[in-house]
Amino acid sequence: MIEIKNVSKSYIKGKKSVDSLTLDIKNGEIFGFLGPNGAGKTTTIRMITGILNMDEGDILIDGKSIKQNPLEAKKNFGFVPDSPDMFLKLKGIEYLTFMADVYDIPKDKRKEKIEELTKKFEIYNELNNEIQSYSHGMRQKIVICGALLSEPKNWILDEPMTGLDPKSSFDLKEMMREHAKAGKTVFFSTHVLEVAEKLCDRVGIINKGKLVFVGTFDEMKQKFKEEASLEKLFLEITEKSENN
Amino acid sequence: MKKVVELTKIFLKNSFADMNMKMGISSTKSKIVSNLIYAILLVYFAGIILFLSYNIIDGLKIIHQETTFIGMILFMVLGISVIQTIFSSINILYFTKDNEYLLPLPLKPYQIILARTNVMLIAEYVIIFLIGLIPLILYGILTGAGVLFYITMVLAVILMPILPILLISILVMLIMSFARLTKNKNKFQLIASLILIVIIIGVSLSTSNMKDDMSNEEMAQMVVQANGMIELVKGYFPTLDYLVEALTSNSITTAIIEILKTVGITILGFIIYMAIAQKIYFKGLVGNLFGGGAKKSNKKINQKEYTDGKLYKSYIGKEFKILIRNPVFLMQCLLPAILIPILMIVMVFIGINSEEAGMDQLIQELNNMQTNSFIIICIILGVLQFFTMFIYISITAISRDGENAVFIKYIPVPLYKQFIYKIMPNIIMNIVTIIITLGVAQYILHLPIITLILLFVVATIIGILQSILMLIVDLKRPKLNWDSEYAVVKQNFNLVFPVLLSMINIAIIIVLAIWLGNTNVYIGLIIFGILFGVLTLIANRYLKKNQYNLVEKII
Repeated sequence: MIEIKNVSKSYIKGKKSVDSLTLDIKNGEIFGFLGPNGAGKTTTIRMITGILNMDEGDILIDGKSIKQNPLEAKKNFGFVPDSPDMFLKLKGIEYLTFMADVYDIPKDKRKEKIEELTKKFEIYNELNNEIQSYSHGMRQKIVICGALLSEPKNWILDEPMTGLDPKSSFDLKEMMREHAKAGKTVFFSTHVLEVAEKLCDRVGIINKGKLVFVGTFDEMKQKFKEEASLEKLFLEITEKSENN
Repeated sequence: MKKVVELTKIFLKNSFADMNMKMGISSTKSKIVSNLIYAILLVYFAGIILFLSYNIIDGLKIIHQETTFIGMILFMVLGISVIQTIFSSINILYFTKDNEYLLPLPLKPYQIILARTNVMLIAEYVIIFLIGLIPLILYGILTGAGVLFYITMVLAVILMPILPILLISILVMLIMSFARLTKNKNKFQLIASLILIVIIIGVSLSTSNMKDDMSNEEMAQMVVQANGMIELVKGYFPTLDYLVEALTSNSITTAIIEILKTVGITILGFIIYMAIAQKIYFKGLVGNLFGGGAKKSNKKINQKEYTDGKLYKSYIGKEFKILIRNPVFLMQCLLPAILIPILMIVMVFIGINSEEAGMDQLIQELNNMQTNSFIIICIILGVLQFFTMFIYISITAISRDGENAVFIKYIPVPLYKQFIYKIMPNIIMNIVTIIITLGVAQYILHLPIITLILLFVVATIIGILQSILMLIVDLKRPKLNWDSEYAVVKQNFNLVFPVLLSMINIAIIIVLAIWLGNTNVYIGLIIFGILFGVLTLIANRYLKKNQYNLVEKII
């Protein structure tokens, strides 16, 4: 469970990039975080993961504060950043065993988990090659494998579908569903509204640092009393918030 | 031509934009601070150069060989141009990230080539003006030279580096034209750089061997004849000869003719360079960008590779792998730790075998001094400071990771622990340098074993201090957005800090050497150990206490 409590962040004095954001992502839920470019999505994710300090508020991950107890909080999530260009000079297997050491995964379990994940994403045969030789999609897959290796209860994924081929994208979505079904949490940002529409239990829309909508797709439709696509509703919500 | 100028400006901005210090204060203030530091450094280095030049000119004047100084300076300018170009050309021409964006633009090949060449040249002029112009101006003043000398001097310093840059770049292009044929791009990049170094060293060695053929009589004649020693620097490079002639001649006609010869040969070199570059540069570039990629292995994963390692081993191993597998990082961060002391050993042994160099006398002199004297120990420590300042591992520990540096912030490993893992390769390479240097010192000076051990401990403590301080600098001013790895190790203001720290350490050593005078070596070394040990503990405490604040710039 991820609890975001009244969190604010400013890069420039007087201009809040994230403004008093309060949001709970419950166990067993896939939560999609949407918003136009520069709305505050990445800033929020950076604060959840401890990359960025917040000016106000707190964030709890399974009850552990990222501010007060960062190490314990970090053990409770797996994070996939938006750029998969990580440790390009390491071989796939070296990266994964390094991640296994970081998360203290025992030898027998790490072998089983690495094989399971990399076979699922069809990169098992590439593990002996440097990540630099991978395509963008394959790099994305290896980073996802690294994040999921420790079987974290909370998944935090920044634009995870970017660069994935249809099969891998389908597999990842299936894994997200299975993860949520097992009572765990998935929090991800995306630009692809169809993905959010089909996959998420709830979505949150952020614009200019403020959360302008949070709820299910049905609630969104009810609120706007129309049978429109998520795309149209998204545009309506963000434009409305701009005018306010 | 307008496009070439524009492109040059963009390349330069890209390369040097981050050379300004970012101090977490307003940009105007930061600019002032950075300019002030540059000015202090400039004055500091200019002071050292002037001091050395004055003494050399003075010494040469006594034996009526002062024009040799001109040869020495131009020879140094040539040497620095060659060394700089070896490292910069392959990176500037082929490994910058913007190459991929440049290719689809409606630019003519010659425009890109010219702009890239301009960047190389401008980057070299910065240092060449410092080590070339300042001593020559001093020479002019001390010898009461006329206007002709100053005009020729400026022309010489401008012209000198052009031809070496062109020739080495042609060599680079020829080597890189094989890039598209290779399957393992990374190894090729490293091998290409090494081949280049071997070729250049080979050429210079063969030229110096030709010099060795000179008979003792010819040598004696050169020394006896006024300004005859200038001949020593001739014969290495065509434009060097012409420019030395132009600067040492008293006749305006000779000076003009020699300058014209240099201009002529440079233009000829430029025409050949452009002709070859237009033919092969883009083939090599495309081959390097898209050809083959890294070698693919179909090898099955060995069960050993799943090993349950300790995090410290795994983390430090990861740091070493990234350093070793990246040709630029390997050449600039890791290898200097081994190459510089080895070069020293080679020099010492050549010196021992060479009668002229006077090295054997120097060693004899040192041996005649009390080998266990505190001054000698201080000299060794000072020399070590000089060698280790070229190890750029700690100072780039965060910057090398680029945008990926945020990784340290979201994994569940204490930041302080990660800092220690990140500086370990620097400490280890420092120890390698210390062992090689002390080995050579032991061979020459036969130090008592306890002195040797104490020296090792003190040098290692200084190495740890240097590693911690340089990491703090990189944490406070990380360079995370770079267009090529080369930018991290060259176009990075932070790199002045290892030099600065070494200078401070040397100053501390000198002050202590004077203060302690003829003290017992062991007591002296223990004082050094305590002093640098306390400083290391303070630096370590700062690192630990401020671990969360120190990573604020990494986002």
